[in-house]
Amino acid sequence: MHDVRIEATPRLEDFASDVRGNVVQQRLATDLGFSVGAVRSIVGFLVRSPADEASLAAIVDDLFADPIIEVGGAGRTLLSDSTLFPEAPDLVVTIGPKPGVTDNAGTAALDGLRTLLPETRVEGAGVSTYLTYAFWGLPEGASGSSIAAALHNPLIERAVVVDAESCREGTWPELTFPERPAIARQAPATVDLEVDDAALQAISDQGLLALNLEEMQAIRDHYRDPEVQASRAAVGLPPHAPTDVELECLAQTWSEHCKHKIFAAHIHHRDEETGEDVTIDSLFKTHIMRPTLEMQDERPWLLSVFHDNSGVIDWADGWSVCMKAETHNSPSALDPYGGAMTGIVGVNRDILGTGLGARPIANTDVFCFGPPQWEGDLPSNLFHPSRVLRGVHAGVRVGGNESGIPTVNGAIVFDDRYIGKPLVYCGTVGLMPSILPDGRPAHIKTAAPGDLVYMVGGRVGADGIHGATFSSLELTEDSPSSAVQIGDPITQKKMLDMLLEARDAGLISSITDNGAGGLSSSIGEMAEQTGGVDIDLAAVPLKQVGLSSWEILVSESQERMTVAVRPEDGAAFEAMAAVHEVEATVVATFTDDGRFHVRHGEDTVALLPLSFLHDGVPQLRLESVWQRPTHPAFVPPEGVDHGDLLLRLLARPNIASKEDWVRQYDHEVIAQTAVKPFVGVQRDGPGDAAVLAPLHGSSRGLVVSNGIVPRYADIDAGAMVVAAVDEAVRNAVCAGVDLDRMAGLDNFCWPDPVTSEKTPDGRFKLAQLVRANRELERMCRAYGVPCVSGKDSMKNDYGSGSDKISIPPTMLFSLFGDHPDVRMTATSDLKREGERLYLFGRTRQELGASEVACMLTESGEAEGIGGAVPAVDNPEAQREAYVALSRQIQLGRIRTAHDCSDGGLGVALAEMCIGGRRGALVDLDGLGLDGADTFAQLWGESHGRIVIGVEAQHEAEVCDALEQHGLTLIGLVVGNGRLTVEDGFDLLIDIPVDDLVTAWKGTLALPVGGAA
Amino acid sequence: MSASNVRVAVLHGFGINCDHETAAVFRLVGAEAERMHVNRLIAEPTLLDGFDILAIPGGFSFGDHLGSGRLLGNRLRFALREPLREFVARGGPVIGICNGFQVLVKTGLLPGPVDGEGVMPDFEQRASLTLNESGRYEDRWVTLEFDAESPCVWTRGLTRIDCPVRHGEGRFVVADPTLLDRMDAAHLLTVRYVDPATDEGHGLTDDLLPYPLSPNGSARNIAGVTDPTGLVFGLMPHPEAIYAKWLHPDHSRYTAPDAPDVAPSPEERVLGEWEGEGLQIFRNAVEHVRSTRA
Repeated sequence: MHDVRIEATPRLEDFASDVRGNVVQQRLATDLGFSVGAVRSIVGFLVRSPADEASLAAIVDDLFADPIIEVGGAGRTLLSDSTLFPEAPDLVVTIGPKPGVTDNAGTAALDGLRTLLPETRVEGAGVSTYLTYAFWGLPEGASGSSIAAALHNPLIERAVVVDAESCREGTWPELTFPERPAIARQAPATVDLEVDDAALQAISDQGLLALNLEEMQAIRDHYRDPEVQASRAAVGLPPHAPTDVELECLAQTWSEHCKHKIFAAHIHHRDEETGEDVTIDSLFKTHIMRPTLEMQDERPWLLSVFHDNSGVIDWADGWSVCMKAETHNSPSALDPYGGAMTGIVGVNRDILGTGLGARPIANTDVFCFGPPQWEGDLPSNLFHPSRVLRGVHAGVRVGGNESGIPTVNGAIVFDDRYIGKPLVYCGTVGLMPSILPDGRPAHIKTAAPGDLVYMVGGRVGADGIHGATFSSLELTEDSPSSAVQIGDPITQKKMLDMLLEARDAGLISSITDNGAGGLSSSIGEMAEQTGGVDIDLAAVPLKQVGLSSWEILVSESQERMTVAVRPEDGAAFEAMAAVHEVEATVVATFTDDGRFHVRHGEDTVALLPLSFLHDGVPQLRLESVWQRPTHPAFVPPEGVDHGDLLLRLLARPNIASKEDWVRQYDHEVIAQTAVKPFVGVQRDGPGDAAVLAPLHGSSRGLVVSNGIVPRYADIDAGAMVVAAVDEAVRNAVCAGVDLDRMAGLDNFCWPDPVTSEKTPDGRFKLAQLVRANRELERMCRAYGVPCVSGKDSMKNDYGSGSDKISIPPTMLFSLFGDHPDVRMTATSDLKREGERLYLFGRTRQELGASEVACMLTESGEAEGIGGAVPAVDNPEAQREAYVALSRQIQLGRIRTAHDCSDGGLGVALAEMCIGGRRGALVDLDGLGLDGADTFAQLWGESHGRIVIGVEAQHEAEVCDALEQHGLTLIGLVVGNGRLTVEDGFDLLIDIPVDDLVTAWKGTLALPVGGAA
Repeated sequence: MSASNVRVAVLHGFGINCDHETAAVFRLVGAEAERMHVNRLIAEPTLLDGFDILAIPGGFSFGDHLGSGRLLGNRLRFALREPLREFVARGGPVIGICNGFQVLVKTGLLPGPVDGEGVMPDFEQRASLTLNESGRYEDRWVTLEFDAESPCVWTRGLTRIDCPVRHGEGRFVVADPTLLDRMDAAHLLTVRYVDPATDEGHGLTDDLLPYPLSPNGSARNIAGVTDPTGLVFGLMPHPEAIYAKWLHPDHSRYTAPDAPDVAPSPEERVLGEWEGEGLQIFRNAVEHVRSTRA
């Protein structure tokens, strides 16, 4: 084997430029305020292979450098070439991945090398990549270490910095091939659990098992059962105690992440306002599962709810649709880029693992971050919110775009408390034929005893072992790189192409993804379909030799699916995998003996009854006490200038345009996105819901929308959930959704609600969860939107004691529903001069925790955010109203609709003017009938309200259909290019639309020539 | 082979991701389209003999690592050089969209031997598609105008269309600036970004348009080029993404005052007046194949 260095750098002739260097130059200016004279970039490849320098030098221009735009060389550092770099730089920084960290460019380079040089197709060959930046003209105070820190994440990357003096001496930074120390496989250990309670708990804590005492005792007791002992002795296992393999497997299967123990808990709930004192046996079963199952009786199109990787509905024309949303909060806090990327490609696998396999056709991304312009203190091991935003955005961009899945809808919410833990919600919609060519319904798995279990896709590595548990530990530069993972979208895309082909060929009898808990979870869950499994860990392909049995079983290495295949189909399945260059290996066989039997070669390393593995975890018992939080009442300042208020609201990060970020997501691959994230004449007005036409040639549609309003949880977490559900449905109504055929997903992110020394207010946080679930049930039943899948993340806190930061209780509600014809939809942009504007819905005095209350309280102009939060007192009537409005849109009578959300009617009108680049003349007269004062009419966020634009020829029929639900004529579209709002004789707002555009688009704009 | 039976091979695999819609648009104009994994073609190059048209769709083959289109281009260049040359030599139209265009440029199929010994492909790279001047990947609608005198079989009769670009590496550059003059003279700079405010048919200009009218800073605002045979066409924008009018960002503004009160049935599956302006490109190639059989 030879190690050969190859480098390439952009040519700088008149037609060429170093965009990568320019981007870094721009980033240093925006992030650090450093104005650097010039930045040049060099891409490096460390090639370890049988090919020597001469043979690699011969193919530099065929593979590593593009001869038209780059100069390349082998066996040298380009910086030493004075024809390329006549002047010595003032600083050089080289950045490359740490050993064991996924290097997608390196993997691609090795693939390319193997195409060109057959002798490199050997085990042990590899390519590691790096990037070198050379800087000229450093400003005062700019240190190499600060620049390097801004450009890399020490958790996963190495950096070498060379200062001006060394540059003048010709000493250049040289990373070497990242070596991983060899490890020797450890034989399974026996863990003695016959110890006192303190020692038992210590075993859990020290082993990062995250099991509580009661759970540890349940495991100990299992091994006291004489029948268990006898069966263990029969296979050569220690009869009285678990192996480390078993203990790790139980810890994964019983983890909060996999078992949702808080949502399944027995809760004693007391309400100090009302005196209510009740017990609840599982919030999930009571408030989410039961309502959906009851709704299923009247909705036969709900094909599969809760038990699979995503919920499936019967959609149209022989196709079923499914959706799932996940969170990847902790990984994104550690490494925003890798964490978010594995979040999006992970939820894509949930779709691929639904039924017999669905094709992901759309992604949604909703993020909650600290304010990007945060200037306050930052705990030392947390990233600045702007860096989290950039990293998460890049991860989702790469993950979604490279997978060929459009990102069609989403949101970014900012709040100081998300500095402690960013929330990264990734959702995916999937499409599958209702019936496969072989006659099987695609949403039903058909695993049978004797089926071979394949692991397909990536290999198992040390990355992703205990990934989740590292999130609770303090992170340093010395933290193992296995704490975070980088996704590999291309490996996954190849796998996805192959598996969907296998599905259509009838080769798959069951499929699920490898996420949390790795093989132990994926095979363990699938084994329930047949009643047992026999696994051989020695067969599992590894990234690195020497992994121990338990590590192989629980590693969460990415890009892997577990697939059951009938033995007679194995050869065809493997041949298909070979064509797609996808690794597929038999690692287990399904049985029906009730056992989860794990071997490593001939030796049994774990034997657990499936019943104990899945049902043995004791139910948590928790206490919940509700006391209403108090806030000083929000009182608007005297003599407020509404025009000024509007411009300030438009510039708030929560409201401001995210266009420069969202444009970097491909939102229309697959050629199906009929309503895109941006609408209007300049294509920069906000889209409310995404509308898709996924069947090429047909205009039958799907609507996808989201609702998330964490602010309201400061007053009542129940109101927060009401707002989220209403917002998602409201957005979908703006597009003309069929309200009789829609389904929802609940994704809860909560601060830890379990009372402990670290969480003295756990009872209150649990009471918030109780109220949230009750309101979710009330809204979903009344709106007729069953939850078909969901997820919860219950430990979103940072630090402890006075430094503790807990996120606001947050629930994302995602919705997907049918649309009869995408040609008949509405968008938010004002269309034509003379279009009449109506406000649909009723405006109440509801300013508590509104965006305007938060803004004025933060600035000190108001005392607090207290007051009534928007409510939906009669959701059944609200649904009737939505049905009536949606129908008018489906009939083509309404082409302009935009809902009132953050910032209320004032902001909604401004956004509609921006989208249409047209003015509007509005009079609030008539909006006070339900008790709202002028301030609340303009800025309040009462639910159920949608501004519509109607052409004269449809006005009579639209009014006829909608009047009974609350319809007020508020104005018309005008040609003077100004938004003018009056209240009777009072002029409240009179601003040119161009100024609205400037205010709205400035806050989160990105400089051209400097990527995110 | 019957006149109606025009067969299209749509490559897929390794991160190509617009294969489904690319196959679909060929079907909508009456062709038979088959998604064909790159490795199936490499294993059995004679499969190409059964096809009339070859499409290399958009996507992120090999994650764009080592330069977009480079690794897939190498696979084609080293494994399918002769079959591809023969395909063009027997008159088979080839289209590369976005990543497919990048592949065609990196293999040297585009721009091809503009003024060389012949017109047939020589697999020599003469141009490149590199990072957008904006420094970022973007999904953005652009306005395109076509050279009416281009020999390109794909673009006949087209003047101006709107469609999206979705790329981070779409800036067309050449090492030899005079090459552009020669391509222009031969009308091989087939399609360019134009300012939608100009009159239709008068938008083409050599002066660099500002961002975002030209989304990437391409030389002479080039969006796509044709080889000297007129058969091989590549472009960065996605005409298949505007196969139907309901995919246009303005479609909710199209409603005429006399719009029907009842929405048309979605089951019709006939685009009719809702056909998008990008579909003609694919129809042109299919009709070209039919016309050569007559």
